[in-house]
Amino acid sequence: MTQTLRGATDRWLFRLHGAERGEVVLNQRRVFILPTKPGLAFAALLMLLFVGSLNYNLAMGYGLTFLLLSCALIAMHLSFRNLAYLHLNPGRASPVFAGEEAQFELHLSNRRPYWRHAIWIGFTGDGLPAREQPCDIPARGDCVIALQAPATHRGWLAAPRIRLHTSFPLGLLRAWSYWQPEQKVLVYPRPEDHAPPLPIAEALMNEGHGIGGEDDFAGVRAYQTGDSMKRLAWRQIARLGNDGTLVSKHFEGGAASEMRIDFAALPAAMDTEARLSRMTRWVLEAEARGMPYAFRLGSASHPSALGGAHRESCLRALALYGQEA
Amino acid sequence: MNSTAARVATWRERLMRGLPREKSDTLLLLGACALVMMPHAWHLPSWASLAASALLLWRGWITFHGNRMPPRLLLLPVVALLMLGVYASYGTYLGREAGVCMLVLLLALKLLEMRARRDLFVVTFLSFFVLLTTFFYSQTIASALLASAGVIAVLTALMSFQYTGVHPPLRRRLMAASQLFLLAAPLAVVLFVFFPRIQGPLWGMPQDAVRNGTGLSDSMEPGSISELTLSPEIAFRVRFSDAAPPPSALYWRGPVLGHYDGRRWTPLASALPSSRQVLGRGKPVHYQVTLEASGRRSLFALDLPAGPPQLENNPVQIQPDFQLLASQPISQRIRYDAVSSLDYRLQANESAVTLRDWMDLPPGYNPQTHEFATRLRARSANDMDLVNAVLQMFREQNFRYTLRPPTLGRHGVDEFLFATRAGFCEHYAGAFVVLMRILDIPARVVTGYQGGELNKVDGYLTVRQSDAHAWAEVWLAGRGWVRVDPTAAVAPDRVERNLSAALAPGAFGSFWSLQGPQGPWLTVLRKLRDNRDAIDNAWNQWVLNYTPAKQRGFLQSLGIDNPDWSTLAILVMTLGAAVTALVALPLIRHREKTDPADMLYKKLCQELARQGLPRAAHEGPLAYRKRLQQSGLSAERRLAVLGFLELYETIRYGSPATVDALRRTRYGTPIQQLKTLLIQSR
Repeated sequence: MTQTLRGATDRWLFRLHGAERGEVVLNQRRVFILPTKPGLAFAALLMLLFVGSLNYNLAMGYGLTFLLLSCALIAMHLSFRNLAYLHLNPGRASPVFAGEEAQFELHLSNRRPYWRHAIWIGFTGDGLPAREQPCDIPARGDCVIALQAPATHRGWLAAPRIRLHTSFPLGLLRAWSYWQPEQKVLVYPRPEDHAPPLPIAEALMNEGHGIGGEDDFAGVRAYQTGDSMKRLAWRQIARLGNDGTLVSKHFEGGAASEMRIDFAALPAAMDTEARLSRMTRWVLEAEARGMPYAFRLGSASHPSALGGAHRESCLRALALYGQEA
Repeated sequence: MNSTAARVATWRERLMRGLPREKSDTLLLLGACALVMMPHAWHLPSWASLAASALLLWRGWITFHGNRMPPRLLLLPVVALLMLGVYASYGTYLGREAGVCMLVLLLALKLLEMRARRDLFVVTFLSFFVLLTTFFYSQTIASALLASAGVIAVLTALMSFQYTGVHPPLRRRLMAASQLFLLAAPLAVVLFVFFPRIQGPLWGMPQDAVRNGTGLSDSMEPGSISELTLSPEIAFRVRFSDAAPPPSALYWRGPVLGHYDGRRWTPLASALPSSRQVLGRGKPVHYQVTLEASGRRSLFALDLPAGPPQLENNPVQIQPDFQLLASQPISQRIRYDAVSSLDYRLQANESAVTLRDWMDLPPGYNPQTHEFATRLRARSANDMDLVNAVLQMFREQNFRYTLRPPTLGRHGVDEFLFATRAGFCEHYAGAFVVLMRILDIPARVVTGYQGGELNKVDGYLTVRQSDAHAWAEVWLAGRGWVRVDPTAAVAPDRVERNLSAALAPGAFGSFWSLQGPQGPWLTVLRKLRDNRDAIDNAWNQWVLNYTPAKQRGFLQSLGIDNPDWSTLAILVMTLGAAVTALVALPLIRHREKTDPADMLYKKLCQELARQGLPRAAHEGPLAYRKRLQQSGLSAERRLAVLGFLELYETIRYGSPATVDALRRTRYGTPIQQLKTLLIQSR
């Protein structure tokens, strides 16, 4: 009940709506300002100074009191100005694995001719650790900041609400604002920790002794970056002489030698997440060892391949399995 | 020499760059606190000043070397010791003086006990409080400037701690704090003028709030006034409603002394009630006196005041001897209106009984003077002649006027009249009155000030402590009390012009006064001093004396007839808001400077959005143009839109040469072309 009420208040008072697309300017209606605890103490100090001046009839005491009051008022404007009219843009957000920290890049750009100092930025929301980073933005300059949020589940992770606040220059008043950028990060499933070896064993076993049967061996080709060391055709390399040219063996896609990372091939007893987790590990391992792999998961089916794009599409399919969006 | 310079440079380097930020910030805070505490060094007991300095140095040393802060166990005995010291010096922990001393020590101690960020604010706020207490002792322009420097320093220190990553150099931070200060100043002035004032004090002003300034005391002995004349401090200022009377008429009546113990003159213990009969002749003089705090009850008025002036909360009485006494000591600068008659006849019908009080002399003093008086009396029976005879003696025999008279023994008057013959006004007045009393003429010493200096800049007459003077009054049958200034007989210049003129040049070394021999640069200096005095006076009149009454008067002069509390509150709010807005608007106002081409581009996009072809957020002009090529726009519109976008791309992203070439076409400037195309696209 209180939660909903508070939510409603927040939405109404702080104008919190859904995610905002594109660039956001913190206009004056979005920046709020209130005294900090030291600010309240400062108000008490001003009262004390005023009463002292009154009692001892100190004309200059009045002067000092009013001057300090005015300084606080000007500081209010300066704090406000420090945050207001800041231009905010979401930046890149690279995919991460579940269990890692998702990085959200944010661009803060200051189009005013003065420096903005000591602006604290952090994600805010339930269950988010209160971590904030300070940043300074030069006059007519930009600042890129990366905020971390824990990625717990695979799938899309939307950036939590961002709170920006500053109490510069005097620390007596705090101006703050909220921003909900339309920014999301793809979270891959968490790779299984002690996964069984790659499903390569049976394929190799069939071939008996090591590398490639006659049927499958298609010849040699020039070495390409990414080819596994295991595939280097040492005999041919030796024959070609020592001009340093490397060649690797090339296999035609014979079923027996092809490594397949297949959802359906995993034991049925495993639950979906565990299977996805293991497949993720295998994809990573196959990539690391440079062994081409075919991939099948639901409607996604990729022929045997290797490399960044292949890896990406496989991991993406794993991340979004069952939650197509 | 060279190595010293090099060492200084290294230290400077180390201070400026070598110090980590945290350290330099702390040192800055220490500096600000030192600046704030400094004015207190003049009146704190020296041990307290030393202790505060030592604590500051200790903290500075800790900071500089990155040592650990002292543990509380070590600080506690220090605190106890200092508190004992306060008690030893003041005998109390209450009251203003002891309070100020404790506050200064507290600030110094707090610096050694700064741990959390919160402590920074505690130190800052304490500093502001210490600044306020300096105004107990001095509220001059100089102290205002010093306090302003203190405020800026504290603000700079406070601000320095608020920076996060980027920490600008000290000069920039100082400028930022000064900017804040200067922006706040106009608003502070508005608040000062319009904020509703309440007449203090809220609770009984503690006794020690009464400040003992230098000034005339209510007793006189040889040396008491001549010492005073060394002080250039201002006693009071006067503004006459009309032209100022001539200098020879400017006798400012203060304490009247009638009791003599052989050395000291004091007021009569209990003067019998006497008639208040005054016959004033001529036009009375109206004037306003701004009296500095003296810590005494005497008020000063021109001889002879017509009545007691009115003071708020402090009734003034006119004594039988026509001196003005307030009920409470004058603990702050006050102002009063007074009326005086310069030509008067005072108590001409006084009874013999009342007059007897003014003829008392202690027995056994000054035998030579008694002998001399007998011889005088034998020559003349007329009191007036006797007075003139004595004055003639002063004038014609080799009496000298000097600020450094020889010291006198038991028979002071004897020695003065017949041996040393050198003295200041208190010698002449005292000896004259003694002589008169021996001659059976009622006489008394009147102390006060004589003269004053008219400031040509603001028309105020300034009376300084150096104008302190003593003269005599004798009672003559049929004429009443008559003023006689025996000093004038010796040094007529003293009365006609001023004190320093009366002293022989060089007699007093580098006397501060700028009078005396006139020279071109003396005139300049004097003008400068007149200006400075006028500024000081304006400061006193407008800043320090801005009382509730004055505020009321000022508001009435603005046309606000009945400024009650709520009217003032509204006024101060409105004006405050207006001034804040004036100050703050340039801070937040900002016009996004848009390039005309960008503006037209924005318009085109709006126009196309209206036609159902909005530009996507990710689309640049090129992508947009490519998409629009396949759109269902009418051919002629499409041509205009595509032309617009192409031209816009060239203006925005083309090489300077291309844009230059565009400028030379016969279709007008590129912007005009854009406008034309925009119109065609509708």
